[in-house]
Amino acid sequence: MTAGRPLPYGDPAHLAAHQFLVEEAALLDAADFAGWLGLLCEDIRYLMPVRVTTARGAGFDSLADMGHFDEDMYALRKRVQRLATDHAWTEDPPSRTRHFVTNVRTFRAEGDDLRVESALLLFRSRGDTREPSLISAGRTDLLRATADGLRLARREITVDESVLRTQNLAVFL
Amino acid sequence: MIDLAAIVSQVRQGMIPAHVYADPEIFAAERDRLFARSWTFLAHESEIPDPGDYVVRRVLADSFIVARDEAGVVRVMFNMCLHRGMQVCRAELGNASHFRCPYHAWTYRNDGRLAGLPFHEEAYGGEDGFARAGQSLLPAPSMGIHNGLIFISLDPDAPALAGYLGDFAFYLDFYTRQGPAGLELRGPQRWRIKANWKIGAENFAGDSYHTPHTHASVVDIGLFREPKASKRKEGALYQAGPGAGTTYKLPPGGGFADQLRYVGYPDAMIPAMAAAWSDRQRALVADSGFMPSAATLFPNLSFVHNWPQIDADGTVAPFISLRQWQPVSERETEVLSWFAVDAAAPEDFKRRSYTAYLMCFGSSGMFEQDDVENWVSITDMAAGSMARRLTLNSRMGLTSEGKPVKPPLATYPGPGLAYQGFGEYGQRHWLGQWADCLSREAQ
Repeated sequence: MTAGRPLPYGDPAHLAAHQFLVEEAALLDAADFAGWLGLLCEDIRYLMPVRVTTARGAGFDSLADMGHFDEDMYALRKRVQRLATDHAWTEDPPSRTRHFVTNVRTFRAEGDDLRVESALLLFRSRGDTREPSLISAGRTDLLRATADGLRLARREITVDESVLRTQNLAVFL
Repeated sequence: MIDLAAIVSQVRQGMIPAHVYADPEIFAAERDRLFARSWTFLAHESEIPDPGDYVVRRVLADSFIVARDEAGVVRVMFNMCLHRGMQVCRAELGNASHFRCPYHAWTYRNDGRLAGLPFHEEAYGGEDGFARAGQSLLPAPSMGIHNGLIFISLDPDAPALAGYLGDFAFYLDFYTRQGPAGLELRGPQRWRIKANWKIGAENFAGDSYHTPHTHASVVDIGLFREPKASKRKEGALYQAGPGAGTTYKLPPGGGFADQLRYVGYPDAMIPAMAAAWSDRQRALVADSGFMPSAATLFPNLSFVHNWPQIDADGTVAPFISLRQWQPVSERETEVLSWFAVDAAAPEDFKRRSYTAYLMCFGSSGMFEQDDVENWVSITDMAAGSMARRLTLNSRMGLTSEGKPVKPPLATYPGPGLAYQGFGEYGQRHWLGQWADCLSREAQ
């Protein structure tokens, strides 16, 4: 699926991929979800498996058939549409979020596609007195080169907690 | 000091002292009087299909290994080593023939029996000093299985599970027995919310009144066509045995198969559902047009059945979720939310149903997000001084004399009582059991 070694940091493809992730995070933190949808391919798959605690020798640490997210474009559009209604109470008042994206590594994939691995720390603050929440995750993305630039074709989010310490996932990672 | 008798008395009148949703003394009473004795759900048999499969689940602070032993028998064992008290199994799930304590290597078979301990001869003088025979991880004091649902009670003298479930078993079948293959559970998604555990349990027991407003956004976006107030209030609200729940009134005129098709079941599944359910169960769906939706089995297991539109073509797909409101403290709850589907359902249906579940319920579900926002906020408000002066009115559907605004449905095929129209009948049914439990002696 990918070449074994990441591209050098100075490689233009790596720089473009890194910039894509940073620009994407900026859109999410600005709550420009419609703009965010514009970065996704029509055939996107957006996955976040449930992570579990297993013995070292078990051979798995996430559930194969159960996720927190397993979305196509239709489902993601519905989520974004919902946030834009006057009745999405859980995000009104909205969360203040900061997507910290780091540890970015870019690999050549099929054709001009890029596989990009990154680490994400999402800080989320709700209301004035509630404790904030943190979600730490790794992400493996497939970025497709299109006439409009790079677009996200697939994202798999590997969350680092088995029991999430956040009220819900009314956020994108 | 709280006056438990006074609180219980108010609750029985449908008047809820607001502090019960964030009170450490109430929480301690719930632990000692309710969870120490009630039947509580741990797992479903489909989660541990093969010998050696196990999951680890809790009843409040007590951790249990739920395992299928080498003979295929389901065992529930307290997850604490007999020697020094280590947690014997520290994974959430897996497959193992034995569990070995990491501290001194005492080793137990997956049926709980002590298989070995190091230096038995040298350390204990063999069987003379410590007889291995008969030593076992503590079994759950009481255990019972119904439709593959594994329940335990910490009370060794608990009534038989079947007797406890009583008339609610009729409704349980809609969620957990759609055919001879039985249910397949996936998950659970687990997350912690800063809300009292009772609020979700009450909500699922009968709050049809919140649907039109709390869930307005999912109607706005065309995810769900049913929560509109006019439709929602025509559903029957039932209470039976230890459970209570809500239904939707489907459009009239449909037969049994038509009603199931309306909510998205494929023809391939309908004969098995018809065969699995009794005449009365079929009549609830067909003749009365009541399609089961949310329900709660006291104390903390809830069910939901819904049928959103999952794609641009307007495909309607039903899903089932089981969810447990696992108390962490008076102000925090761990939600365990499973996706459930008939094990023999066609694969393409399972896929659609799973999509429907993820869009609506669970950690990312668009219905659930707004529910939890309300519940966190209630808990937050209930923790202060003013909440001790406020009694919440849960008397919807009752006149000042305590009579139902509308009498129960006279012709209703199911057991128990059922009402039509908005009313907090199910919540009061749940709260009545809560009051009964808190009135018992601590265990």
